[in-house]
Amino acid sequence: MIDTLPAQRRTVAPSRAILLIAGLVVLVIAAALWGLSVGAVAIPVEVIVNTLFNLPGEQQAYIIMKSRLPRMVLALLTGGALALSGAIIQGVIRNPLASPNIIGINSGAALFALGLVLVFPAIPQVWMPLAACLGGFCAAGFVMLVAHYRRLSAIHLALIGVAVGFVFEAGVDYLLIVSNDSESSAPMIWLTGSLWGRTWAHVAISWLPLLTLSALALLLSYRLDLMALGEGTATGLGLNVPRQRLLLLVVATLLASVSVAVVGIMGFVGLMAPHIARRLVGGAHRLMLPVAMLVGMLLVVFADGLGRAIAPPVEISAGIITALIGAPFFVYIMLTTALEQD
Amino acid sequence: MSIVITGVTAGYGRDRAIVENIDLEIRTGEVTVLIGPNGCGKSTLLKTIGRLLKPRQGTIHVDGLDVLRSDPKRVARTIAYLPQSPVVPVAISVEQLVGYGRAPHQSLLGLRSARDIDLVDQAIATTGLDDLRHKPVAELSGGQRQRVFIAMALAQDTPYVMLDEPTTFLDIRHQVETLELVRQLHNAGRTSIVVLHDIAQAARYGDRLVVMHAGRIVAQGTPADVVTPALLRDVYDLDCAVYPDPVSGTPVVTPKDQAMRQAG
Repeated sequence: MIDTLPAQRRTVAPSRAILLIAGLVVLVIAAALWGLSVGAVAIPVEVIVNTLFNLPGEQQAYIIMKSRLPRMVLALLTGGALALSGAIIQGVIRNPLASPNIIGINSGAALFALGLVLVFPAIPQVWMPLAACLGGFCAAGFVMLVAHYRRLSAIHLALIGVAVGFVFEAGVDYLLIVSNDSESSAPMIWLTGSLWGRTWAHVAISWLPLLTLSALALLLSYRLDLMALGEGTATGLGLNVPRQRLLLLVVATLLASVSVAVVGIMGFVGLMAPHIARRLVGGAHRLMLPVAMLVGMLLVVFADGLGRAIAPPVEISAGIITALIGAPFFVYIMLTTALEQD
Repeated sequence: MSIVITGVTAGYGRDRAIVENIDLEIRTGEVTVLIGPNGCGKSTLLKTIGRLLKPRQGTIHVDGLDVLRSDPKRVARTIAYLPQSPVVPVAISVEQLVGYGRAPHQSLLGLRSARDIDLVDQAIATTGLDDLRHKPVAELSGGQRQRVFIAMALAQDTPYVMLDEPTTFLDIRHQVETLELVRQLHNAGRTSIVVLHDIAQAARYGDRLVVMHAGRIVAQGTPADVVTPALLRDVYDLDCAVYPDPVSGTPVVTPKDQAMRQAG
């Protein structure tokens, strides 16, 4: 009887895992090439490869290098970052419904970044990620403190996070209304989670923090495994649980906040990617985190490409596409989680 | 070599202390069982030794190592702690979970050495989990899960093991199975401290019983010395007959008709 379920869906042999990661990497590359080719001007993949690697033959240096490549780089960086952030938050809070969005980080970051831009229009862009991180910490910190002092259950935590998110979103709306100038559609588009108009300047302010934090997240993945055993067991295994929890949440908050600073609120990526990864390779974070990162990249690159491919030259924000896919996914998770608990 | 607890007072938040001024020495090589009524502080004492709860006062030394002031990983290489009803992580196999027992011996990346793999194999074999090795722990029965967690503590390879009510929620067969595993730990030279509810089981599987009541230790010694009608009346407020178990000869407890007692 026991043998009827062989090393199955939830746990994966190392060889299969390597194959799966390699497959995902190929998919991400393919999606990125497709993303570079679609848009107002369709460019054949051959021309893209020529341009990227400066090969002989037709090149489209201006469109690709100036416009499409920086946004592709940002899509990859932020997709991976949001996925890692979500995976860490779900692991630490041990709640499948948690994500940077749900515990208010995204709207906190958005409010502070937007506030900075509107109050000090002349300020260099470098400050945006910093303001966003501050906002992210305000939101996450508040939710965590309340949860800590009232010893809240996971579901209460999620609900308070949603409430805090609404407060910050109200702040965002207020700022948009009072700053009623001709250029206010730009922050509006930024807020819906878009890669429109992103340049190398955005890459310049975000690549170093995002890469460093992503690497750090991957390094901390084994500790997430131990945290998943609950406070008692993890302590028994020699983990300083309160300290590790704080460290992991800081990393997750920074990852999501810096992403919001450059691409706005890319909803549901941090929720979906870890779930898909868990179904693919199981719950061990050393494997699940890198897979989630790749899935997150794939989601954002795909959403951005689709948004440009549907009705060129009009662009649909990537954040709208991720929300369109993500919202039903969220309901699906809630339904299946409830069923599994019965 | 032993666990020495000196003047430990502990409690939750700002509430009244649950255990007060506990002095206790746990001898190496024995199975020590903590018993006592609900809320007497036995689990709290175990949590304090397990560093899950910071005591307000007192010190805890395990083989001379100051538990509260030492590197947590170093402590985890000396003493293993399994909480009451541990969290079962999502989508983790038996082998992976048992492997986590090696964490205190590994770097932060959790890379496995040949010895780690060896000890995990041994722990899985000892607990009879070979057939379930690749199954997700979440899909196992309560008794099987408990075996997996004990295997994890075995893989941790510590001279001391603490188990907080390992038989709760198990049927009698799996209770016995779990307690037999505790016996095996003992035979393998480990010192264990176990919190149990069932007095007869405590008497049968413990070398030494420590009885707690209202946050204090009220008796300790061999099961035959400790389990007496007088003690049961004092601690549980229950009139009992105590007689030897027909199989093991250790004391068994049967409550008398309480209505009669109240009348008398």
